[in-house]
Amino acid sequence: MSTVTHEPTTVTDDVRGAWRVVAEREITTRVREKSYVYSALVMIVGVVATVVLTSLLGGRPTDYTVAVTDPASAAIVSGASDVVDRTDEGSSAKPREVASAAAAEQAVRDGDVDAALVVTDDGYEVVGDDEIDPTLSAALSTVASASALQTNAEQQDIDLEQLRSGSTVAERLLDPESDDAGSRQLVAFVFLILFYVTAVTFGMSIAQSVVQEKESRIVEILAAAVPIRAMLWGKIAGNTVLALAQIVVLAVAGIAAMVAVGETELLSAVGPAVGWYVVFFVLGFVALAGLWAVAGSLASRQEDLGSTTMPGQVILFAPYLIAVVAGEGVKTVVSMLPVVSAMLMPSRMAEGGVPMWQVVLALVVNVLGAVLIVRFAARLYERTLMRTERKIGFGEALRLSD
Amino acid sequence: MLDISSLSRSYVGRLVVDDVTFRVEPGRLTGFVGANGAGKTTTMRMILGVLAPSAGEVRWNGRPITTAQRRRFGYMPEERGLYPRMKVRDQLVFLARLHGISRDDASRRSLELLEHFDLADRADDVLDTLSLGNQQRVQIAASLVHRPDALVLDEPFSGLDPVAVDAMAALLATEAGDKPLLFSSHQLDLVERLCDDLVILSQGKVVAAGAVDDLRGRGPDRYRVVLDGGDAAWIRDLRGIDVRDVDGGTALVDLDGLSASELLAAVVAREPVRELSPVRQPLSAIFREVIR
Repeated sequence: MSTVTHEPTTVTDDVRGAWRVVAEREITTRVREKSYVYSALVMIVGVVATVVLTSLLGGRPTDYTVAVTDPASAAIVSGASDVVDRTDEGSSAKPREVASAAAAEQAVRDGDVDAALVVTDDGYEVVGDDEIDPTLSAALSTVASASALQTNAEQQDIDLEQLRSGSTVAERLLDPESDDAGSRQLVAFVFLILFYVTAVTFGMSIAQSVVQEKESRIVEILAAAVPIRAMLWGKIAGNTVLALAQIVVLAVAGIAAMVAVGETELLSAVGPAVGWYVVFFVLGFVALAGLWAVAGSLASRQEDLGSTTMPGQVILFAPYLIAVVAGEGVKTVVSMLPVVSAMLMPSRMAEGGVPMWQVVLALVVNVLGAVLIVRFAARLYERTLMRTERKIGFGEALRLSD
Repeated sequence: MLDISSLSRSYVGRLVVDDVTFRVEPGRLTGFVGANGAGKTTTMRMILGVLAPSAGEVRWNGRPITTAQRRRFGYMPEERGLYPRMKVRDQLVFLARLHGISRDDASRRSLELLEHFDLADRADDVLDTLSLGNQQRVQIAASLVHRPDALVLDEPFSGLDPVAVDAMAALLATEAGDKPLLFSSHQLDLVERLCDDLVILSQGKVVAAGAVDDLRGRGPDRYRVVLDGGDAAWIRDLRGIDVRDVDGGTALVDLDGLSASELLAAVVAREPVRELSPVRQPLSAIFREVIR
């Protein structure tokens, strides 16, 4: 054994900086875990795959069905099939006869057919539900005007104006508002899932980190070295950085994938929402981080986490449910409440049409909520962290004195 | 110097530490003894600020202690604990940095301590993979890694084999240097051997405190008398002494008015004496006496 020397030691008396050391440990331990690296990779692959698949599915050969009311229209559709095949290889179009123009529109609404070709006073009309596939529309227009011109030319020997009459094909959308609603909704849904998974992953990571320190009893050494709050701030900061990094990487991966497959239109539509999404995520995560830490400090062993993390899980799962099942009004109100707004507001923004005042209100409410929740959580955390002997309930923790 | 001043702590209405006052002098090893549940651990936790006292305070160099000063203390809790899945060196560096030491210094100091414990080759092993004895050594290193201004160690010798106990005792003597060092122990012989000062706690109260030598001096002067003859029973007839025990030619007496030489003279007057020797009271005797 060598002797231990007594060199002068450089010590800072700045207790306030201790949280940084805690945060640093949270980050370095976590990124060294294989499970962390793998789950991040899986999520990145998932995002890229979603974008690429959406794009690929949009461009694959389609067999269009077009509702028609008379044999002449049916002939046009059959003629258009060749044109469609030329534009988009392997695609085809076939007519389906219905009784009336109203029946044709109904078939479009019901989604039984992709579009309807309806006879009007001055020619034809292609009727779609929320959109008409441009390939199909172009093909129908070309064939219809060609056939009309031909018929006119055969029947009369007249000037060009007359020759052209009846050959106009207009597009009419029954739901012109949401042009790329499908893709936008998909993006919003992906946001929701990513928020949920990331928030739960890193929330659980906070709770586990706390209970691990209780279980291994090192918490007493830590509490003697630094104020308990410094440990809490360190854990919140460290895991927020990790979660934020993951979200940013996912957002960048998603944007890069959209650019790569040429979905620039979708990108310009959801791009700003992605930015807001990151802002809301950080606020929502920080607000909830305190509760995750409390979940850890209430538990005395890893097995207790199942019950102590329940409130956090419910708070995160509720907006997920609301987003899927609730109506517009409920969503609007809930998207401005603290924590849950972090999930709902960005997904509403991705869908489009959110007034700016609602966004600002949601932000303000979120900041206030985060401050209040973290302060409340810090008190519970301080009261319960050193009680290592058994699990403590939320209610009991509230009644405990300092 | 560390002053514990009228500390009290109650748990659900029960007073487990009751108006405890004592001083831990720098440069002297202070032993903290008491039966199980006497309140030693609770007192130590209050000294470190891990537990808030119900009343009283801890003073450092005459002033109420601050968080920053407490941060410069070294603490080894009764319930040992480190990160089981963290590398030994990383663990020590982390703890040193928590105490406010720079990364470089922490790293140097950690290696130094690991070398001292012959654990330098295990520096990059995960704590879990070390034997329990070696984990205990890392635990001690953890309390020393930031070169603390004062040491509070709860049962630092428990679980150590005799060789490790000696090594630990030597290390503490070196590390303590001119700093206050308080440690609790159940092993009274060890405390007797190592400590300069002693605090005895019983049912939350300090029943004895002071230098070990003074505490011993408190008891009666006890002597062993061995006679040449086979029966020392007649010694009971002498005045000025209190005979504790007679066994054949050997008697154990406490002086009660008589001096040692007067006792010798009185005995020699009647029978040849083979031995007259002072009996040093073992700490265990003092301990039993004061906690009675």
